[in-house]
Amino acid sequence: MKAKGKNILLTIVTLCLSLFVLFTVQPTHHTTAYAADDSLQKIKDRGKIVMATSPDYPPYEFQVSKNGKSRIVGMDVDIMKQVAKDLGVKLEIKSMSYDSVLVAVETGKADVAMSGINPTAKRRQSVDFSEIYYNGGQSFLINKTDVGKYKNKAALAHKKIGAQTGTLQYNLAKSKIPGATVKGMDKNTDLVLALKTHKIDALGIETPSAEAYVKNDHDLAMIKSGYHLNKNETGSAMAFKKGSGTLAAAVNKSIDKIKAKHMTTQYLADAGKYMKVNTTNTSMIHYWTYFAKGIEYTLLISAISVIFGVLLGTILALMRFSKSKLLHAISVAYVEFVRGTPLMVQVMFVYFGVGIIVNLPALLSGIIAVSLNSGAYVEEIIRGGINSVDKGQTEASASLGLAKSDTMRFVVLPQALKNIWPALGNEFVSLVKESSIVSIIGVTDLIYQLNIVRADTYRGVMPVFVAMCIYFVMTFILTRVLNYFEGRMKHAK
Amino acid sequence: MQNKPLVEVKKLQKNYGDTEVLKEIDGTVMPGQVICVIGPSGSGKSTFLRCLNMLEKPTAGQVLFEGKDTSKFSEEELTTLRERMGMVFQSFNLFPNLTVLDNLKLAPIRVKKMSDKEAEDKALSLLKRVGLEEKANVYPSSLSGGQAQRVAIARALAMDPEMLLFDEPTSALDPEMVGEVLAVMKELAEDGMTMVVVTHEMGFAREVANEVWFMADGYILEKNKPNEMFEHPQNPRTKDFISKIINS
Repeated sequence: MKAKGKNILLTIVTLCLSLFVLFTVQPTHHTTAYAADDSLQKIKDRGKIVMATSPDYPPYEFQVSKNGKSRIVGMDVDIMKQVAKDLGVKLEIKSMSYDSVLVAVETGKADVAMSGINPTAKRRQSVDFSEIYYNGGQSFLINKTDVGKYKNKAALAHKKIGAQTGTLQYNLAKSKIPGATVKGMDKNTDLVLALKTHKIDALGIETPSAEAYVKNDHDLAMIKSGYHLNKNETGSAMAFKKGSGTLAAAVNKSIDKIKAKHMTTQYLADAGKYMKVNTTNTSMIHYWTYFAKGIEYTLLISAISVIFGVLLGTILALMRFSKSKLLHAISVAYVEFVRGTPLMVQVMFVYFGVGIIVNLPALLSGIIAVSLNSGAYVEEIIRGGINSVDKGQTEASASLGLAKSDTMRFVVLPQALKNIWPALGNEFVSLVKESSIVSIIGVTDLIYQLNIVRADTYRGVMPVFVAMCIYFVMTFILTRVLNYFEGRMKHAK
Repeated sequence: MQNKPLVEVKKLQKNYGDTEVLKEIDGTVMPGQVICVIGPSGSGKSTFLRCLNMLEKPTAGQVLFEGKDTSKFSEEELTTLRERMGMVFQSFNLFPNLTVLDNLKLAPIRVKKMSDKEAEDKALSLLKRVGLEEKANVYPSSLSGGQAQRVAIARALAMDPEMLLFDEPTSALDPEMVGEVLAVMKELAEDGMTMVVVTHEMGFAREVANEVWFMADGYILEKNKPNEMFEHPQNPRTKDFISKIINS
């Protein structure tokens, strides 16, 4: 009992220590951010400006495939290309979920976030904004069958309104429509699906987007919002990290030029053309390259993560059995902490949080997070495996004079590994499924590709169904392969 | 026979929580001696044996190996002690993940730093000695119980121990296999190996042992020459035990 109490204490101390280290890292970051405004110079030195965007928002930004290659297009991209040209640098686009784009500039993953973002007062507290480059206005998408029912905003009172989480549309629906229930989702594609299946009655959305949907989906109609709004909050602007004055000033010059020449009209027309190309063939086979790429990344992430997960898990398990109280406590604390936090949060923490210190690419961050997560679960599996080896084996080994490390290496671990093979296989199968979470930081795994296809084709369910089948086929084949090896191991005995 | 004892046990005591398994054990093992420990189940015979090579740590008292107190041994000294004092278990405890040959080679290579070739030659000659050279490359799961125990003895011998502990080596065997294992053990005894054998094989004890110790309730109640022990037991508990065994 006493020993147990001591262990818990050690665990808590280790946890506190690691948290302490994390927090002490933070302030140094802030001081450097405010130190001197070299935001423009840095980009010029690098010869490249990095833009974070969530390409599921036509006509602002969306993904199209041409000749098997997919790329991000749209008005935002065209504007940014012009800005990059004016700055004399190249443009690199990083795609990620909408929730992540602002975090990306805050943490230096990108120089500019551009994703049809409205510069609300709240957002201005955490990032700097450019001038408004486009003012699309607010609308609602509704089902065509409801056109007679919902003629204007007033008719939507006490109805269910959908909007993208964290957007202006969400806040407006909440504050300006009396009695409305506001349902937030991460993606407009999901919201449109919710609208069409009558889970919501109307969808708050920017006018250009609404127009794009109405044009491409004959079941939908739109109504103007009729909100009375401050123009400075409702238009779209680019976001920069706080203290990027020189960069913002340079970008604003380009925006002034674009506005003066009414270049956005042309950009929107171009985007419209892409969207037309996009909707001619919405069969899933047409998009097979998307799915293939998704499968490739999903398998890549799972395979690498399972290898590192097993390595890490073995080390953690050995630490757990170590005589050293400290190693034991670290292992326990690690496993408890990782198992006690969602994988999604860990993925975001590795990409954005650790990104403050080292700039890790999304794919690498994803692999690291999934491996670290898997390690904790594998530790538990291996620990069980080690415990399952008969005590007589250790005794026999000790009676021959073998050191503890040799006993582990030559006698216990090989037997443990055989016992835990089914459980490890299970872990691999669940990794294939759980790795889907990395899509939130823009890793092009199957889920990410699925969402692109949905945004592209305006089809809500079919891509989901296809992805579901792909996942099943992958895990089914994997299970068969693992069973085969399990059978062989039994025979080898 | 030399005069210096190999092992001396003094007032050895072992508790598991509140249960006193060994209350007070004294005894001496001389080099070349074969001692058979008999007694009813639960009398602490196995625990006593496991205290000799420190698989169990005594609660009180001492086990002296060549005059040195084993309870004060460092990890390395313990390893050396176990190298010199081999053990054979009731359930064989062969390593199922290794072939018979590798079972024999592992400790000589890892502990004695023998070359692979040297260890292999030694292993093969030991397998020959227990009559199992043709089983060198099979896995333990394909051996019969008697074969497995002979391999386990060969594995213990591969470390060139000066003394062997046997913990009921034939109790887990089918009756028809007991003979082959006892034969190997008898041969070892004839070659002068120092042995402490916990056993229920009274025939073996009578024939091979120099001394028989009768254990009950955590004490050694009687030590005697085999013939005396079986024909004229002194202690009433011994009398009772022997008569039960003979009449069964």
